[in-house]
Amino acid sequence: MHRREFLKAGVALTFAAEWPTLAHADVNFDPTPGTWRNFQITTRLEIAKPAGVSQAWIPLPSVNQKDWIKSSDSQWTTNGKAVLARDLHYGAEMLHVAWAANEEAPVVEVASRIATQDRAVDLTKPGKPAIDLTSADRKFNTMGTELIPVDGIVKQTSDKITAGKTNEIEKVHAIYEWIVENTFRDAKVRGCGIGDIASMLKTGNLGGKCADLNALFVGLVRAAGIPARDVYGIRVAPSKFGYKSLGAGTEVITKAQHCRAEVFLNGYGWVATDPADVRKVVLEEPPTNLAIDDPKVAAARKTLFGAWEGNWLAYNFAHDVALPGSSGPKVAFLMYPQGETGNTRLDCLDADNFKYTIKSKELTAA
Amino acid sequence: MQPAGATAAELQRWSGGGQSAFSLPTIGGAAAVLEAARGHAVLVHFFATWCEPCREELPALNRLAARAGGSVTVLAIAVADADRSVQRFFVTTPVDFPILLDRDRAVAKAWNVATLPTTFVLDASLQPKFVVESDFAWDTIDPGKLSSALDAAGSTSIKDASNR
Repeated sequence: MHRREFLKAGVALTFAAEWPTLAHADVNFDPTPGTWRNFQITTRLEIAKPAGVSQAWIPLPSVNQKDWIKSSDSQWTTNGKAVLARDLHYGAEMLHVAWAANEEAPVVEVASRIATQDRAVDLTKPGKPAIDLTSADRKFNTMGTELIPVDGIVKQTSDKITAGKTNEIEKVHAIYEWIVENTFRDAKVRGCGIGDIASMLKTGNLGGKCADLNALFVGLVRAAGIPARDVYGIRVAPSKFGYKSLGAGTEVITKAQHCRAEVFLNGYGWVATDPADVRKVVLEEPPTNLAIDDPKVAAARKTLFGAWEGNWLAYNFAHDVALPGSSGPKVAFLMYPQGETGNTRLDCLDADNFKYTIKSKELTAA
Repeated sequence: MQPAGATAAELQRWSGGGQSAFSLPTIGGAAAVLEAARGHAVLVHFFATWCEPCREELPALNRLAARAGGSVTVLAIAVADADRSVQRFFVTTPVDFPILLDRDRAVAKAWNVATLPTTFVLDASLQPKFVVESDFAWDTIDPGKLSSALDAAGSTSIKDASNR
């Protein structure tokens, strides 16, 4: 068993049971930095029917940005051999656990603590010219990845959307608006994409969840030559602004994974964006299937270009992640726990063999 | 390659030239190579278990292979699917043709596949002659006529192989 001590002591564990109701005519979606919230996230993973040597990789919060998230150490217990591992390209941290073939009930439980707060930037005020990226970081955050090519149809689409726009903010906002306006599932479209954003554009099938829609946003922005990145994470608490669709409703957050996006704007730095959550409000916010001009949608659409709520944690920014110790393929992103047994990659829907639960507790000072 | 449209699926004449050979692992563990299918009509079928039209189409492909009695070889390639997902799917939807695992999309990309499902129809010399970038009503295909249509490809429409 390996243990690492938490940095903080003397805390009580509570989960925010309050769930404010969003009144239809009283939409106030106004994330405001200034109040840090602390959470403990606990992931328990089991491989129920091991078939030889088993392995698991559990994403750990590994983003530290002084203005919105602090990731602390993690502690774990397991009947396997666990080590902290880090992706070399993006710094994504994970707990890599290996179990011998004779282990009948592989299990690991890992707890992590983070602090997070709302983000918001006023893009109507002049930026500070000194805020810029190094050329290496700019190149890294404008290049294509396995699932996010930035040439071909992605570049052509980006060029069309940004035609006539003269500065970075206008270009990025035009792409944000295009995502909000155009992404949905068209029942007439046949077939599915193969999983990259170019295939989404080729098939015209612009439906999807955050890993599709915000990846498309990031790709289109990168194709315009502007740095952008996906941020993979999980919702940890209800929305204090009353959006049922934009928060975790219970302490069990096993299925609350969500990725967001950042763009780097000269003078402003990394800016919070989340066009996929605008589409989520359209689809899921009660009474569901809202009109695009519904006040709740309009508020989300306006706010999520430049701001997001601190009821979510970021695991990492990583794409195309090689899992250490695995001979299998890279994973497109590391937002879900991964597992293998007998050299066979498991999947999160395989309830007979691969079980995990993720719980969130808000920590308040005792 | 033409994008899949909203119209009913038809097999389209393939004019993109030869495709690259491949060798992929199967869910049974052995490797499957395209070259081994030389000498028969071959359907190279790209799918994913999470793709709803794909799930509905696979049994029809299996019925076609059964009707063909060995004159048509089906190679079904799961694109970027978790191994266990594919294994579980075929427990409840068994088929008699091999299921290949294109875990990193390498073959799908080499064959310029953008849509799932996509099926290429190859002649006995492994030259692609037709393609459909959507699900397709394989129950309408007469295997004998399919082979004849492939032999005459260039002057014959695949519709001639249909029972419709």
